Amino acid sequence: MMTVTLQYYAQLREQARTSGEQVSTSATSLHDLYEELRARHGFSLSSDALKVAVNAQFSDWSRALRDGDTIVFIPPVAGG
Amino acid sequence: MKHFSLASDAIDLARLHASLQHPGSGGFCAFEGWVRNSNEGRAVQGLEYEVYAELALAEGERIVEEAIARYGVNAAHCMHRTGNLAIGDLAVWIGVSSAHRDEAFRACRYIIDEIKHRLPIWKKEHYVEGDTAWVACAHTYREHEHEHHHDHVHELAAPFVPDYSRQTRLREVGEAGQAKLAAARVLVIGAGGLGCPVLTYLAGAGVGTLGIVDGDRLDASNLHRQTLYDARDIGERKVDLAARRIAALNPAVTVQTDAEPLHAGNIVDVFGHYDLVVECTDDLGSRYLSNDAAILTGIPLILASVYQYEGQLQVVTAKPGDPCLRCLWPQEPAAGVAGSCIESGVLGPVPGVLGSMQAIEALKLLLDLPRPTDHALLLINLLDGTSQRLPIDAARGCAMHGGCAEAARRGLTMAQAARDVDIVFGNLDAAIAAGYTLVDVREAVEIAAQPLHAVSQWIPSTLIGEHATELPAGPVLLVCASGRRSGVAARMLRGQGMLNIHSLAGGVATLVPQRDRIAG
Repeated sequence: MMTVTLQYYAQLREQARTSGEQVSTSATSLHDLYEELRARHGFSLSSDALKVAVNAQFSDWSRALRDGDTIVFIPPVAGG
Repeated sequence: MKHFSLASDAIDLARLHASLQHPGSGGFCAFEGWVRNSNEGRAVQGLEYEVYAELALAEGERIVEEAIARYGVNAAHCMHRTGNLAIGDLAVWIGVSSAHRDEAFRACRYIIDEIKHRLPIWKKEHYVEGDTAWVACAHTYREHEHEHHHDHVHELAAPFVPDYSRQTRLREVGEAGQAKLAAARVLVIGAGGLGCPVLTYLAGAGVGTLGIVDGDRLDASNLHRQTLYDARDIGERKVDLAARRIAALNPAVTVQTDAEPLHAGNIVDVFGHYDLVVECTDDLGSRYLSNDAAILTGIPLILASVYQYEGQLQVVTAKPGDPCLRCLWPQEPAAGVAGSCIESGVLGPVPGVLGSMQAIEALKLLLDLPRPTDHALLLINLLDGTSQRLPIDAARGCAMHGGCAEAARRGLTMAQAARDVDIVFGNLDAAIAAGYTLVDVREAVEIAAQPLHAVSQWIPSTLIGEHATELPAGPVLLVCASGRRSGVAARMLRGQGMLNIHSLAGGVATLVPQRDRIAG
């Protein structure tokens, strides 16, 4: 199990009801992690509508998770 | 005697009337406002005026003086009641005397319109049912705004000379920077929550030409975040309001307005008239369109958007090799995915902050101020006060599938095709004459009730996917009752590469009825 820090923006923040959390996970890739979170929080967006960044750098969904990573999921937003 | 007075009790009108006697006056015009027994469908039994007296006296005096100067009348006075009034009581009295009647009428009208518009007077209505309400001054139509010439206009002030000293004092700006701003042409798409601060700061800074595109009229729900506008502006076109405010803020700025949203057919041309574009709409489709036009024209674009308490900012430099919006999110998400201020809510200062950041990015680009050399998406969270700057690696974006320019061309082509789907025809003969094969996609019962009276194929919309091969190769016009089913079917078929399929906009409902047409 690894512990990672998550930050949520926009709809994800609203649906998770928090702007961030620490989770322990057995997921090995960002993609698997997101699917795990999606099931838990009921996120309406699929991963292909999102950008993901790890430790303040945009990343591929296939990237392997490492203990202590800070992960940000970013949907496009439209308000103005 | 002063030109404007407030009275807490009924007053002697004969005295007011006498005070306006003037040997040079050949006409006198008076206006009286009375308390009416109803307002907006509710029975009223009386009302109460509450006044911010100091301000009302000063402003009232100014209004009457303006009218005297504007129309060259000899004497004028306005009296406004305060306190409790009953049905039929005199609420406002205005009298004007002048050499000729025309100026007297017009000055009278000017005074009442401006009084309604500008005076800090609140009206509390007492309804017959026993309840009360404070009534805001609704938007007032002001006749004098529509006057084209005045024989007696007096120029009020010397020409305005802008003073940019607070910004030219900055070493990086100076007179040379100010000259760059004066020569700059900036297009602001959207005059809403983001657009208001952008327009305000760019006009204040002395950007020579500001273009404004917005198709909306001001709604009361805009006012918490759209700081260029007032409650009295509700219902007016935002481009007109914004242009007026900018002219008031800095008359040195040239404003160009367009109340039609840009589309795939004209956006590249429009971008070509500007040096920089700031995208301030609440519409993802518009952002992608602007991104593609920026890439294809090489005109830099500043994108921002907000969601509830947070926002995103991205500067698209539109230089070859630099990343664009599609490098982050290659395709425009489906409708409803990205949220909007209407659905998701937003606190007013959130677009205020992001719009102000767009304004500073615009000034940095125009003035060539130092900027980070890499490219990033900036995320701002105003609830916890954090921001994240995420560098964008252009090599991992559009470059992996043909480059930004290729993606932009594809995007514009698709937007243009989507725009071509719905076609307007007043009658079906015109469609046939234009070379379209008609395909009726309604159900049998609908057709029996309202036949097309024109040669057509019949494929119900529910079956059109499996019968697509039966459609002719030439241009096809799908027809349904309202244009909705035919539009959905046309887009579905176009998604399969059948770009010759169109939909009758508005459907059968918009066709001129057969019996009204001249038999031929």
